[in-house]
Amino acid sequence: MNAIEITDLKYRYRDGTEALRGISFRVLPGECIALLGPNGSGKSTLLLHLNGLLPEKLSGDGAVKIYGEPVATKNLEQIRRQVGLVFQDPDDQLFCPTVAEDVAFGPQQLGLNETEIAARVKKSLAQVGLAGFENRHTHHLSHGEKRRACLAGVMACEPAVLVLDEPTSDLDPRGRREFKAMLRTLPATKLIATHDLELAVELCARTIILDHGQIIADGRTVGLLSDEKLMLAHGLERPHILHHLHPH
Amino acid sequence: MGGHHSHPHDHGAGHEHGPLEHWPAGGKLAGALVLILTVVLLPRTAVTGLMITGTVIAGLLAVSQIPLWHLVKRLLLLEPLVLGVAGLMWFQPGGGKIFAVVMLKANLCLLTTLLLSNTTPFTELLRVLQRLRVPWIFVTTLTLMHRYLFVLADEAERMCRARSSRTFTRGRRWQWLALASVVGQLFVRATERAERIYNAMCARGWK
Repeated sequence: MNAIEITDLKYRYRDGTEALRGISFRVLPGECIALLGPNGSGKSTLLLHLNGLLPEKLSGDGAVKIYGEPVATKNLEQIRRQVGLVFQDPDDQLFCPTVAEDVAFGPQQLGLNETEIAARVKKSLAQVGLAGFENRHTHHLSHGEKRRACLAGVMACEPAVLVLDEPTSDLDPRGRREFKAMLRTLPATKLIATHDLELAVELCARTIILDHGQIIADGRTVGLLSDEKLMLAHGLERPHILHHLHPH
Repeated sequence: MGGHHSHPHDHGAGHEHGPLEHWPAGGKLAGALVLILTVVLLPRTAVTGLMITGTVIAGLLAVSQIPLWHLVKRLLLLEPLVLGVAGLMWFQPGGGKIFAVVMLKANLCLLTTLLLSNTTPFTELLRVLQRLRVPWIFVTTLTLMHRYLFVLADEAERMCRARSSRTFTRGRRWQWLALASVVGQLFVRATERAERIYNAMCARGWK
């Protein structure tokens, strides 16, 4: 069964902007996919659909299916349990005063008991390398730590699909390297919207390129990103890292 | 980003830790409520009672080791409100005395609140409220407010800095206009952020 199945997904904002114009693709369980495209290409809008966060799209028309279940009002809880969404601005996502409370938020909503919640908090903080940060205040963390805390909060819900919106933007090179290494260790199916082309090459075997709300290309990352003409035409560029992978 | 800014409200004040900070938050909250209720309920004529309560509060303030200038600054910030209310008393017969008593009572209450907030981290107070089964919507609102006050303050600071770096006139009128637009922008950004926070909460199962 497909982890994500999107069929002819269209979306228009209230101001008339057409954000998505008929998008279709499938993601198999365990895949790690990079979603590339210039600013305003519809990446973030697409990600919001995967969690049923656009209320007018909850008619259950079956355009978005997660493990065979259409995203609709009646099964939102199940969908959000399966799909973990990490937002672009960590300050939006860390809404609790301390790291432990924030990571515990998801498990609490799942109705777990205190012992299970504590175990999940400990496990996911260790997973993202923030063990011992339980009582730190969320607004005192560095940007890199905030990113990790956000991820821990989502991992604590143990989602089968992890959706990340520009996870490495605003990180310094070391932060970026460490974040990528950590992402690699997470077993979930991953869909990563990003401008970090090196991340795409290093982590994702498959890439989907989006522009003007349409899928321009969908294929093997190295193949697509080596196509300089294609990359330049859609606000991207051939990443430097590929020169080292395929010297010519 | 405002990653490592020191936020004075976080651990009370930026002063040395006094002994009151180790007292349990629940006890401090209850104590403060009792003190405030006493001040409010004491009749206007019970000057001795007010004096005794005042002495207790002053004693606690001395023990707390909160620097005096810090208290005075906070108090002055709130004084216009107190004056606004107490000022109305002048228009009554015997207004002078009532004015003095209202001023005294209001300031004693403010001092008690300052004492509490400067010796108890806000997050601990929230936890006490939660344990007391204060309605969740109230506690959640306070928690979110406390969390995002700093984010908004940082944002406002950045906007003001960006404004002033491109402001080349010293005209008062211009400065007020600039301030107004910063406030307006801040409101718009806060609303948008609220929407994103709500989305993030929903994404993690908020019902």
